[in-house]
Amino acid sequence: MTAAPADRQLLLSRVADLRKIPTIPAVLAPLMSYLQQPVEGLDVQTVIDFLAQDKSLAAQCLQMANSPLFGRWQRIESLRAAVMNLGIRHVSDIAMSCSVLNMLPQKSGLDAIVFWEHSLGCALVCRRLAREVKVVDPAKAYLAGLLHDLGIVVNLWLLPVEFRWAFEMAKAEGIPLHEAEQRALGFTHCESGRLLAESWGLAPELIAVLSWHHSPQESGRERELVALVHIADLLCRMGGLNYGYAEKRQVSLFEDSGFALLTEGSNSLKKFDWARLTFEVDSYMDEVHGLVRAIYRG
Amino acid sequence: MRIRELIYRCAGIFHPDNKLALLDDRCKRRIKVLGARSLKDYLACLTSSPVRQTELTALLNEITIGETCFFRNVAQLDVLRSTVFPAIVQAKLKSRIRCLRIWSAGCSTGEEPYTLRMLLLEQTQRELKDWSLTIFATDLNERSLAQAREGFFGQHSARNLSPLYRSKYFVPHEEKLRVSAMARSNIVFRRLNLTDDAGMAQMKAMDLILCCNVLIYFDLESKRRVLRHFHDSLLPHGYLFLGNSESLYGVSDEFHLIHFAGCTGYMKSARPLTGSKCK
Repeated sequence: MTAAPADRQLLLSRVADLRKIPTIPAVLAPLMSYLQQPVEGLDVQTVIDFLAQDKSLAAQCLQMANSPLFGRWQRIESLRAAVMNLGIRHVSDIAMSCSVLNMLPQKSGLDAIVFWEHSLGCALVCRRLAREVKVVDPAKAYLAGLLHDLGIVVNLWLLPVEFRWAFEMAKAEGIPLHEAEQRALGFTHCESGRLLAESWGLAPELIAVLSWHHSPQESGRERELVALVHIADLLCRMGGLNYGYAEKRQVSLFEDSGFALLTEGSNSLKKFDWARLTFEVDSYMDEVHGLVRAIYRG
Repeated sequence: MRIRELIYRCAGIFHPDNKLALLDDRCKRRIKVLGARSLKDYLACLTSSPVRQTELTALLNEITIGETCFFRNVAQLDVLRSTVFPAIVQAKLKSRIRCLRIWSAGCSTGEEPYTLRMLLLEQTQRELKDWSLTIFATDLNERSLAQAREGFFGQHSARNLSPLYRSKYFVPHEEKLRVSAMARSNIVFRRLNLTDDAGMAQMKAMDLILCCNVLIYFDLESKRRVLRHFHDSLLPHGYLFLGNSESLYGVSDEFHLIHFAGCTGYMKSARPLTGSKCK
């Protein structure tokens, strides 16, 4: 099914009604704003106070902070210990991860758990890749990976029936979800994501990522970050951290436009062992599955 | 961790974090056999003792032991069925060549080539109707080949078989299962040393090569030699698949890494097929 141009406008106008989308928890907005300043100006106790306001968020943060995915192998029992051991930036990544997990509608065509597994997996791969690229801040890359598909949340809330058609088409034909959205809706979650990102007043680099992660060559700004998210997203979708179905196609990273954008500024990536990274991504799977399920049900 | 790096550097097989326990267990088995005192002593044995090459081979044997069975690598087989075979068919239809040539290099006792044959028999009903199919199954070990040709297998080899495949392509024979005559057809078993230049030069016009857990035993120079032969053997659209978590990083630039759903493979080139003839 393909949306006619008139339908496309109609669907887009429904997507623009963003009041129906749940917002990020109240504590997170001031925390994110506070974290905008240079790290040396940040106060540990202030961060702890922000997080402690929301008990459920604080508990979820602790659960995630204890995962080996965040580099800890020793038990962390308190928010203070989490901030002291993992660092303020890392804890804010975790807080954001827990918050966005709660945004999907309960009864959606797309399994909410699978969706967030993909997003969390993508965030981890982004951070891993950023450490190689060296021109992108790993914390920024993590957040960009975590939020890149927020447009899917918009589509799920505002166009549940139409989005379900697109998702079922993608699954049946084994094609990328954004291609099915384009055919069924006339636009993709990139457009919906841009609307949400602008309405929430997210940082310009995040707006660019949400808008262009499937076509990084079209991004006017932050092209390295957008290309990095594009590649991490691709690796997750082709690996076990997909949307719950296999894309029946082959991908040559080296012929991908995003790959060229990412590697042109980074000599280390030209010699990077992509096969090994792919095997590592597979090793994230078990931990990501466990974490998301625990937090989602918690 | 250091043993993991050593195995990856020498053999090209990577153990991600969630498989480290398996590697640890296999090392402990070897430590017990050798009477070594610790992992540190064992690492020394793998790196500096006069028997390091022999010990590396023994450890690799422990890592891969018992893996052979029908339908071993499900993700890889799904990708062959859903993506690779259709892509090969598309490439060959352009040149009107209706033959498919597959090479199972290092086929051991035959589970892999028989799995491919069964997969293709299912596919034959659909897009491969009227195509000529040949699976070349080669191994260095004559005894393994003899067993493969006979086609008798124990329950361990059959542990991943679905009831459909079990009933359709196997005949019970005492405690064992025998591969049916239909599933034994179109497979050519042949002894071949992958480093034998003359023998390798005969393997031409392949659409697909599978070489799983074989290159890991070769030193870097031999690996490069084998890969040059694979490169020559494959048609321009051809694919090379290795074992789970095996990589060609640092070994060959003549193959490009390709990502599929749930597994990786390699291609020699993205150029279209130009009238190669089947032998």
